[in-house]
Amino acid sequence: MRRLTLLHIVVAVAIAAVLLAAPRILTVVQVRMLTEIVYFSLFAVSFNLLFAYAGLLSFGHSAYFGLGAYVTAISLKHVPGMPFFAAILLGAIAGAVGGAIIGFFCVRRKGSYFALLTLAFNQFLWAIAWKWREITGGDDGIGGIVPKKPVDLGIFSVDFTQVGSKYYLTLFLVTICLALGWYLIRTPFGNTVKAVKGNEERASFLGYDVNRSKLLIFTLAAFFAGVSGSLFALFQDFVAPSAISLGMSTEVLFMAFLGGTGSFFGPILGAAIFVYFTDWISSITERWEFILGVLFIVLVLYFHQGFIGLVPAKLKSLFSLGNNR
Amino acid sequence: MPLLEVTNLSKDFSGLKVLFGIDLKLEQGERHAIIGPNGAGKSTLFNVITGKYAPSHGKITFKRHDITGLSPHKIARLGLARSFQVTNIFRAMTAFDNVRNAVLSRNGKRHSIFPTLGGMDSIAEQTEQILNLIGLLDRKDELAGELAHGHQRALEIGMTIAMDPELILLDEPTAGMSSTESRETVKLIEKVTEGKTLLIVEHDMDVVFSIATRITVIYYGRVLASGSPEAIRNDQQVKDAYLGEERE
Amino acid sequence: MEFAASTIIIQALHGLVYGMLLFLVASGMTLVFGMMDILNIAHAAFYMLGAYLGYTVLMATGNFWLALIVAPVGVALLGALVERFFLRKVHKYGHAFELLITFGVFFVITEAVKWIWGDFPRPVEVPAALAGSVHLLGSQYPVYRFFILIISFAVLAGLLYVFLKTRIGIRIRAAVSDAQMVDALGVNVPRLFLGVFSGGSALAGLAGVVAGPFLSTYPGMGLDMLVDMFVVVVVGGFGSLPGAFVASLMIGELQSFGILFIPRLALVFQFLLMAVVLIIRPAGLFGEKV
Repeated sequence: MRRLTLLHIVVAVAIAAVLLAAPRILTVVQVRMLTEIVYFSLFAVSFNLLFAYAGLLSFGHSAYFGLGAYVTAISLKHVPGMPFFAAILLGAIAGAVGGAIIGFFCVRRKGSYFALLTLAFNQFLWAIAWKWREITGGDDGIGGIVPKKPVDLGIFSVDFTQVGSKYYLTLFLVTICLALGWYLIRTPFGNTVKAVKGNEERASFLGYDVNRSKLLIFTLAAFFAGVSGSLFALFQDFVAPSAISLGMSTEVLFMAFLGGTGSFFGPILGAAIFVYFTDWISSITERWEFILGVLFIVLVLYFHQGFIGLVPAKLKSLFSLGNNR
Repeated sequence: MPLLEVTNLSKDFSGLKVLFGIDLKLEQGERHAIIGPNGAGKSTLFNVITGKYAPSHGKITFKRHDITGLSPHKIARLGLARSFQVTNIFRAMTAFDNVRNAVLSRNGKRHSIFPTLGGMDSIAEQTEQILNLIGLLDRKDELAGELAHGHQRALEIGMTIAMDPELILLDEPTAGMSSTESRETVKLIEKVTEGKTLLIVEHDMDVVFSIATRITVIYYGRVLASGSPEAIRNDQQVKDAYLGEERE
Repeated sequence: MEFAASTIIIQALHGLVYGMLLFLVASGMTLVFGMMDILNIAHAAFYMLGAYLGYTVLMATGNFWLALIVAPVGVALLGALVERFFLRKVHKYGHAFELLITFGVFFVITEAVKWIWGDFPRPVEVPAALAGSVHLLGSQYPVYRFFILIISFAVLAGLLYVFLKTRIGIRIRAAVSDAQMVDALGVNVPRLFLGVFSGGSALAGLAGVVAGPFLSTYPGMGLDMLVDMFVVVVVGGFGSLPGAFVASLMIGELQSFGILFIPRLALVFQFLLMAVVLIIRPAGLFGEKV
């Protein structure tokens, strides 16, 4: 076990200070981008929990992101007197329940079959979001989700229509989820997930219920994706089928691989690069998606470490960024 | 009541019959070896007993539980652990982690989320005991996939006994070893399986006769003979079918 | 709601046409999967590219038959490049990276098509020789759809012939069951893989050209086909050609009649079928143990 040193604490405090002070230092546009980075970080990490830790490559991870987004939006919009935070929790639970149901069918399958099923179920949910207009608004989506009146938090009340409040809400919930994920992979449960990825057959002969551990990690990842989607809906104040589309599943894949799937923090870096990169490149060319795709192919062919691979080795080992072990 | 009882067990793979009505009984504390020529069905028998394949016919009872067709993890949890003929370890994990995977499972810490692994001193202690027993304590931080063949075989056995099973099944533990290594392994097996019930598939007759208290000979999917090593050595049928040619 | 018998038959015919088209695409993918153990996501993009290449050749020359040859050849060449320079390179990294690279190719081709041909549908005119309709049970049925049926069945017959009667087909079947043995027998497996992969791609390209005048070409056609193709694989059984055939026809008919009877559920019929199959027969209709 690596021990916490003063340096770790200093760095952690510095990062926390910068993140907390961000709305006072940055422009509104920058705070908006930062918020996007924060909720996409959780989405990308949740994807990578499946890919890197459990060896499960999902092409349909936006299914749970979208469930979170839609359920939060629908419950705030259609349920009178819906408490604000309960709506977020409902979104997260919807992601987890969706993950548990779909995961039940998918985790029994290996490799390509798993990937194919996740994609098909994603498209299934997309079609429902598209067609079930009465509830989802179809391609018009659902807008005006965030409560117009300040939300009473007991001691004080917060106006979540403000960019700064949304940022703090996102930062708070994502930090909790990331910490939870970081903790869980260090428990016997996390070890089981890694062991099953490492050698499924051996694990089952050691008494591990392989499908159960896969289903648990799948559900956990779906829960995090649901939280992330819920925050996305609140941030955009709008949800449309694109949130639950294959396009969104592709984006999270790109984020994870841009940053690097080899470590817990890689996808966070990936989310940051993705948001900035797409913002920048879409301002200079309309064909930015093509360029993104080419970049993705190059990463898959030559650069599996992703951009976190550019961080000097010494720094990496200091902050255990190097690998998943 | 025998610890393990296999009754009239048959297995066929889409039409190809491999086992024809095998009967086998293991008493508590017995050290039972299964021998037979290549392709006799020894490994298939192992795989059916341990749940890798469901049998086509027949029944398997372990500690009064009917384990016929149960999945491997359920059988393993009842106290029946196995090793593999082709080394089957967690190659990307350290030797320590390999053994710990077994220790965690034995302690029922498969999905627990409190505390972290780092905080489980007793698990680490038990793991190191096993590593010490199999002589890998000073290599505990090496990746299992990078260990020498002999060490990987020892790790294979280590993981099996780390489950603290009532019945240990070893599938050709000396596969691919030199005679010196084989002797070492026999010593290791004797040391780590002391007082336990053992079922072993083995090719090397020296290994078989030095370990086993009972031997069953399988020949083309059927039990040819079963008895004490002495009886098997003198069995004319066995000699004709198998031992004679092997002893060349 | 009541429908005349003729409506039912026309609808069934329509389902058969779409089903056979689906099979035309799915067969190439199943072939590659069975042989190389690679689920080629880019296959759906090859289909799309075939349709657009066909469109361009048709626009430039006005000759549909030329398009029917040029587009599959072009797609086959691209397929060969993908196999040779991408798939072979990532093979050593394992399954996930093979999937990822074919997904990347799917994405890039889709974007490239939007770039080159525009992000809007391009209707393709039915070639003069196949235009018009025939009288069928009191209504008009387009000749072109019969053409789709003919060409799909011709491909099916061709595949059966190649597999059952020719040397190369026997090698391919042998490689499906045991690649190492074929290697040991002195067959050049990498070259065989390259051939099968570009052959499968050509089938996708051919299906694209044929689909053009029927479904029109549009930037989402690759994704639509990808999803239907995946459902075919799940329903039919992974890697089973007869399974792909039956599942394709089932999905064709299901969509055709589904839209007639329960239009609200359009877009999700195939998924409902998939879910039912997963519950009742998880390995697929023709699949062995998964």
